[in-house]
Amino acid sequence: MPVYSVSRRRAIALLALTSILLITLDMQGNSVVRGLRGVFSTIFEPIQSSARVITRPLENSWRGITNYGELEAENQRLQDQLDQQEGAFIAALATARDAQELLALNGIDNLADISSVTAQVIGGTPSNYSQTIEINQGSDRGLRVGMPVVNAAGLVGRITWVDNDRSLVLLANDSLYAIPVQVVNQPNIVPATTTTTTTSTTTTTSTTTTTSSTTTTLPVVPPVSAVVDPNGITTTTQSMTTTTVDLSTVDFGALAPTTTGVIVTIAPGTTAGGPTTTLNLDDLPIAETGIFRGRGIDNAPVVEFIDQNSRFGEVQVGALVFTSGGSQSLAPRGIVVGRVIKIVERTGTSGAVLEVRLTAKLTSLNFVRVLLYQPVATGAP
Amino acid sequence: MIDFVNKPVARLILVGLPALALQTTFFAEVKIFGVVLQIMLALSIAAGLAGGSENGALAGFVFGLMFDLVLTSPLGLSALVYGAAGWGAGYLHSRALENPKWLNALVVGLMSGLATFVLPIVANWIGVEGWLSSRLTKVIIVVALSNALFSFFVVPIARWSLVIRRNQRLAPPAEVFL
Repeated sequence: MPVYSVSRRRAIALLALTSILLITLDMQGNSVVRGLRGVFSTIFEPIQSSARVITRPLENSWRGITNYGELEAENQRLQDQLDQQEGAFIAALATARDAQELLALNGIDNLADISSVTAQVIGGTPSNYSQTIEINQGSDRGLRVGMPVVNAAGLVGRITWVDNDRSLVLLANDSLYAIPVQVVNQPNIVPATTTTTTTSTTTTTSTTTTTSSTTTTLPVVPPVSAVVDPNGITTTTQSMTTTTVDLSTVDFGALAPTTTGVIVTIAPGTTAGGPTTTLNLDDLPIAETGIFRGRGIDNAPVVEFIDQNSRFGEVQVGALVFTSGGSQSLAPRGIVVGRVIKIVERTGTSGAVLEVRLTAKLTSLNFVRVLLYQPVATGAP
Repeated sequence: MIDFVNKPVARLILVGLPALALQTTFFAEVKIFGVVLQIMLALSIAAGLAGGSENGALAGFVFGLMFDLVLTSPLGLSALVYGAAGWGAGYLHSRALENPKWLNALVVGLMSGLATFVLPIVANWIGVEGWLSSRLTKVIIVVALSNALFSFFVVPIARWSLVIRRNQRLAPPAEVFL
């Protein structure tokens, strides 16, 4: 049996106590700990960059060996998906334009108004527990801790650490991630009283030329579930009825370069000056608010603390989840998070827990977009 | 300068930084069955085998702290668990009269599995949820097996880091004489 001297025991106990002290300080958000991480990062960054350059060919070889078949199948699947979505994309663009006008008229923040920086994912998580990625943009491009990160499909996470030219993103499925969200049931079959009508307009110039040559019958996207990406990567739509949209009124050029995504939300009854959209507000679902929380790589994220609203009724599987925004929230209103896949009822006043499937596929991220958004409480967007 | 490099702490940092760079680049991308291999943990345990429990605890603390500094998890969590793993490996090492390579591999594998199991439990205990899941079994098996294989080259590296000379290595562990 080995015998330990008092000094040895003390040394080991000291190491353990130091660890516990560091954990305690970090859990309380101590600035010294944050500073320590910053200093270490500055020292470590050149070594890591060198290692990345050296190991990149090895990583690529490994991926080539292990993922070739998978990539080929995925490529085929994506091509099919792209073909299917081409038509829906045009419809979505038309609806997005309507939505942007309505949001602007009501002074509601629109994701299209928020500047963004595109970044490439340069590293994955080095741990089996925390869910992070490293991106190749940093404070030099205006990135700050807390800014939301999205891709074409929806919410990816938030910036958790920033250096000059790179940042760390905490993914939405990490257990440390939480954000206020809204949950909206998908509308069922459109009631007879609900009418959605868009009338085509004519543009009159000084030469009195009317352009309305291209008129297409398109499916209407439900007001609360339409997500439009100008790059045409992801479009989530559900056809309910049809309407006639004059494509000549759609400003494709204005949408494409800047729009990150647009949530078509509840809109007022009538707009003037553009396409007229009439919606019966009583027939639209009201969003429930709750807190979205990641639960690690294996468990589906959840929405908790749902405020049950009598008008909204029971939350249904398939309900949409998107960020609710607000002065304290780190993300603006309207970023798509995912869909409810399971409802776990709890007794007492704690309310139901909603399990959510994220729309963004966090396991295969390549390019992401950082919204240069900060809540009103911390700074101007 | 040479004197400085010959100090164990300096060598631990000299070994730890490139190892951490490998962990955050190569091993973060090259996953086995979706599991990230843990070279920092392997080095911590190897230090225990090479230098005894006290050195193992110190090396584990240093390597774990370095790893914590690049993670989003609480600072000190890996340092605590890796330090304990290094200490445990040193303790097991002191119980054996001979330490053939296969035994080192077995100890590294066992301690890696144990540390991988304990880490999410400690995390859960301090309030970090979501780390304990059904996937943990797969992670433990993959990390234990891979680190057992790593032992064949991390143990010599750990010996160099802790400035363990050949005559010291062949002598019985220091604990025996205390």
